Parts: sequence; structure tokens; C-alpha cells
Amino acid sequence: MPSDASAHPLARPSGRVRRIFRHLPLPGERESGLLATLVVLSVLIAFGSHGALFTPVNMDNLLVSAAITAIPAIGMTVVILTGGIDVSIGSMLGLVAAVGGLAFEAHWSLVAVVPVFCLAGAGLGLFNAALIIPGRVPPVIATLGTLSIFRMLVFLVTGSNWITEIPPSLTTIFIVTRIGPLPMASIIALLMLALAAFILARFRLGRHVYAIGNNEAGIRVRRIKLYAYGLLGLLTGIAALMTLGQSPMVQTSTGEGFELKVIAAVVLGGTELSGGRGTILGTLLGTLIVELVGDGVVLLHIQPFWSGVLLGAIILFSVGAAWRPARSA
Amino acid sequence: MRGRGLEPTRIFLLLAFFVLGLGGFALGDVGILSRANLTSMAVFAVEIGIVALGQTFVICGGEGGIDLSVGAIAALAQVLLGLLLVAHMPWPLAIVIGLASGVVMGGVNALAITRFTIPPIIVTLATMFAFNGLALVFTGGINIDLTTMPPSFLALGQGSAFGLPLQLAAVYLPLLLLFVFLQHFSRFGRALYLAGTSELAARLAGIRTGELRGWTYVISGLLSSLAGVIGAARLGTARPDAAEQMNLVSIAIVVLGGTGIFGGDGSVIGTAVATAVIAVVDYGLSYNNINPIYQAGVMGIILITLVLAENMVRGRGGLRRVRSYWVRATSGDPLQDS
Repeated sequence: MPSDASAHPLARPSGRVRRIFRHLPLPGERESGLLATLVVLSVLIAFGSHGALFTPVNMDNLLVSAAITAIPAIGMTVVILTGGIDVSIGSMLGLVAAVGGLAFEAHWSLVAVVPVFCLAGAGLGLFNAALIIPGRVPPVIATLGTLSIFRMLVFLVTGSNWITEIPPSLTTIFIVTRIGPLPMASIIALLMLALAAFILARFRLGRHVYAIGNNEAGIRVRRIKLYAYGLLGLLTGIAALMTLGQSPMVQTSTGEGFELKVIAAVVLGGTELSGGRGTILGTLLGTLIVELVGDGVVLLHIQPFWSGVLLGAIILFSVGAAWRPARSA
Repeated sequence: MRGRGLEPTRIFLLLAFFVLGLGGFALGDVGILSRANLTSMAVFAVEIGIVALGQTFVICGGEGGIDLSVGAIAALAQVLLGLLLVAHMPWPLAIVIGLASGVVMGGVNALAITRFTIPPIIVTLATMFAFNGLALVFTGGINIDLTTMPPSFLALGQGSAFGLPLQLAAVYLPLLLLFVFLQHFSRFGRALYLAGTSELAARLAGIRTGELRGWTYVISGLLSSLAGVIGAARLGTARPDAAEQMNLVSIAIVVLGGTGIFGGDGSVIGTAVATAVIAVVDYGLSYNNINPIYQAGVMGIILITLVLAENMVRGRGGLRRVRSYWVRATSGDPLQDS
């Protein structure tokens, strides 16, 4: 897809002022628009729900689920920046939760189980990467395949039974413990987002990630792409752990549809599917909007079936809104 | 460069798979070869086969062409049809409206992909959820019973002609002929091969590639809704969650049939034979009471294994790719391997 080279931050005529501002986390045009949308949506939902949006219980719920979406969204941003996509993470989350749940059932201690979640996630992510990079299977095809394969494995691993022996300490750690107004899950997500934004903006690795999406030359492309999928898997594993903190049981349907939420957040945040453009700040704002819409559907007593329609419409609208006639010429 | 088109070797291989698959399941239980079972298999194959025809064109058009919304379009068209029938609309008119809804939904995909230049994966992933959601909204999440509808309508999915299921003899086979003509003997088909092989060459040849690809999504939408309509007539029910695995299975069929996922080659004949193979696998698994989730998993394994094998053979992956990579890297030759 042809993209307007002059619109890319790295290709701007770089005066000294520009060069300094490029590395500051100032919101760009896209991010400002998202921020405005976020504020308008909150006000609308707050009025529509007679203030139910800001009750502590609802706020906690919203913040924790935003954290669970935002953490894999970091990985998804990097994967999409390098020109890939992973539609399997919903099933991946379910499978990691199932494997970890079995470890909990076998009475492993929490300290021993956390690495299981991380390793299982990273392993599944690298499995996708192995298909996509050395195997040359297009990312959509590969991950569409693993979406159903991982889901099959969830059934095989759990034997279609629910796993309910999840220690309450997970809930304590991620949700009950708080710093200021934020539950621990949100704090962890914010730290990870900040770290990712810093690395992407300031490190050579980060510049390489953008460069791969724009034009793959002279960089260890394959290795970075491999890491990107591995990172996404690892972060999905962490999200699985937090999901069990939020609702302490593993079902065969755990994580279904999760991939769309994460992709919606990233795409809404302005990361372009053709790669090379997008920011972590945008992803954070995209996540918050997606979660707010989901919460709003519940608070405003809209039929839950609408959430899929809304999510799909939001993705199309947001990508379409970035469209400029000149680019298709 | 030219489209590879039809590969006789692959057709023979697929036919061998078909016989082996059927033979394998027959070894487990000869009952699967009974007339009733073979008919059920054919009936199942028709719906997914129709969708796969449209998917073939979409993928053949290249530039990342893929339609993930086929199942959602089938479900929404089926639900619309069901609601209209329950509202006592004459069934031919209801079917026309159901099919028109498929054209509109395909048109939405086409517009977003070609006018707004949004990647096909994102567009069809988004519309997949949107159309599925609408199907749930329209029905309130419950199935619509159509068993009391006129027998002439239900015959579309349950009748027979010339000893074959009606939808096979009267819908699928004529459609297949039409698509063979379109792909191999018409300007549209030639233009599509060229567009899929090389965007630049197609444009230089004066082909409006965007418009061309747009039509493939409209065709795919129409065929998906047709599959939805037939499914409703067959089961006597309209379900908002019908055809959930249709996107995965249709893509697997197309790839199995020899249409490369990078576009520009393949044939609907290959797709048709591959449909028979997949139908055997799927029916064989159902026949042995395998959980549908496992069936989807098996489809995923088949799809990935196929593309991997394909890449090895064609040198897009595997040793040749690695070697050419090194040759380029060491000699500084900027040419891509073709």
C-alpha cells in the first residue's frame, strides 16, 4: 500500500525543534482526536447512566479490564508495526489460562506458576512466529489456523471441565492491592506502556521496529519480527494471569473474542496495518475507548449483542477517518 | 509472468486424497458409504463450496485479498430471510431480499477496501463482528423456526433432482460452470489473474484493479448470502450463529485447491475438488462424533500444513528462499527471487 512518506514522523524535514519534539510524548493529531473522543464518550455515558460510570465498583472493573487489554495491545502494536498481525491471541489467552489453571489445580505455589504463564504465552507466540517467519505462512492465515488449534487444545487440556481452583491471592495482588486510585493491574499496565513507549521512541531497537514496517532493508528483520510475536505471546500470558485474578475460573470459552478487542484498540489508536506507523500512547487511548464503549453498553442497558456491531463499526470508522484522498493516487 | 491457472497434478492429488479419506473413514465404519450419508456429505459440501467459489476470486485478486466476513454474511442473510418469512412475505421475494442483503454487505467490504484503502483483513474482521452482531440484534439471539414454511421453500435445501440433492444439481453445479467460464474464458478472469500477479502490470494494461477487486467482494457477499439461504432451507431454521467456522474452512478449501494466498493463480475447479475433500474430512469427523471444536482445530492444522508445504515446494520458503537470500546479501543483487 502506498503511504505518504512526508506524513511519517521519521521522514519529516528535521529542524532542531522538530527533532526534540519528536521524542517527547506529546499527543499528535491522532492522539488529540482520541483524547477528545474519550472525554465526550465519558461525559455521554456518565449522564446516560446517571453517574453509574464513576462508582468505585464500576471504575475498578473498567480499569482492570483496560489493563488486561492494554498489556497484549503493546505486543500487538509492535507486531502490527512490523507489518504482521496475530488474530489467535483470544484462544492463546484461553490456552495459557488452562495450562496455568492445571498447575494451580496441582497445588503449585504462585511463584512457580507465574513463570508457567509467561513461558506458555511466549512459547505459543513463538510458535506463531515460527510458522510466519521461517515458514513464510502469511500472518493472517497462520494465526487464523492457530486460533482454532489453540481453542482445540483448550478443550483437550481441560477435558471440557471448568477449572475453579484458582487461588484468591491473584485477585488480592492484581485488583485489591492499589496505589492511590489505581488497582495494581493498572499500575503494571501503565509501567509496561511507559517502558514500551520509551524503547520505541528512544532506542535503536524501537527505530528498527518502525523501519521494518516502512522498508525492510539492512536490519535483522526476521529476528525482530520473531521477537515481536514472542513478546505478544508473553504479554498475552500475563493478561491471562490477570484475567484469572478478575474472574477466578477457566472455561472452555475463556478469551473468546479477546483478539478483536485488542486489535480494535491498536487500530483505533492509529497504528496502521501496513506497518511502520503508530504509537503506544495511541494504543493506550484506543484501549480506553474500546473498554469505555464495552462498559457503556452495559451501563446504558443496551442489548449486549450491540457490542460486536459497535466494535466493528468503530474500527471501520476510525481507519476510514484517517483516509486522505491524495494517498490513493 | 502469468497465472498458473489449473494444475492437473493437483487435481489428481486431491482426487487421491478424496478416495483415501473416504476409504479411511469407511475402514472405520462402512456405514459412511451409505446413500444417505453420501447425500448428507454432498449437502454439506454445497454451502461451503458456494462460499469457497467467491473466496477463490477474492484471494486470486491479490494484494492481501481475503474475506473473513463470509460466515457473518451468511448468518445475517439467513436471519433476514427468516424474519421476512415469519412476517408472511412470499418466499421468492424474501430470498431475493436475502441475496440483495449479501450484495450490500459485500459492497460495504468492497467500498471500505477499494475506496478507503483499508487492508482487507481489518475490513472483513470488523464487518465479521458487525454483521454477526446485527444478526444477534435482529433475532434477540434466538433461532427462528422455519419448519412450518411452504414446502416449495424448504425443497431448496431438502429436495432432490436427477437423483442428486436439489441444491447440488440446480444451484452448485450451474454456479461452478459459470465460475469456470468467468475465470478461464472471460476478460474479467484474465484481468483478475493479471491484477493478482502484478498490480503494476495490470494498471499499465489499463485495468482498474480497485474496481475489479471490489467486485470480487460483492460476488463473495452474494454467494455467502446464497449459502445462508440454502442452509436455512435445509435445516428449517435461521440461526444468528450459523456458519461460524465458514471463513476458516472456505480459506482452507481455496488454498487446498491450489489458489496461492498471494493471488494471481489457482482455479475454481481446484476449489471444487478441494471442497469434496474437506467435506469428507468434516463429515467423517462429525460421523465419528468428534466435537465441532476439534473439527475446527483439524481444519486449522490442515490449512497451516498446506501453506507450509506449498511454500517449501514453490521455493517461497525453505531452502531456496534461504539460499537466494544469501546470494542477494552477498552479491548485493537487488532483484527479488520470482
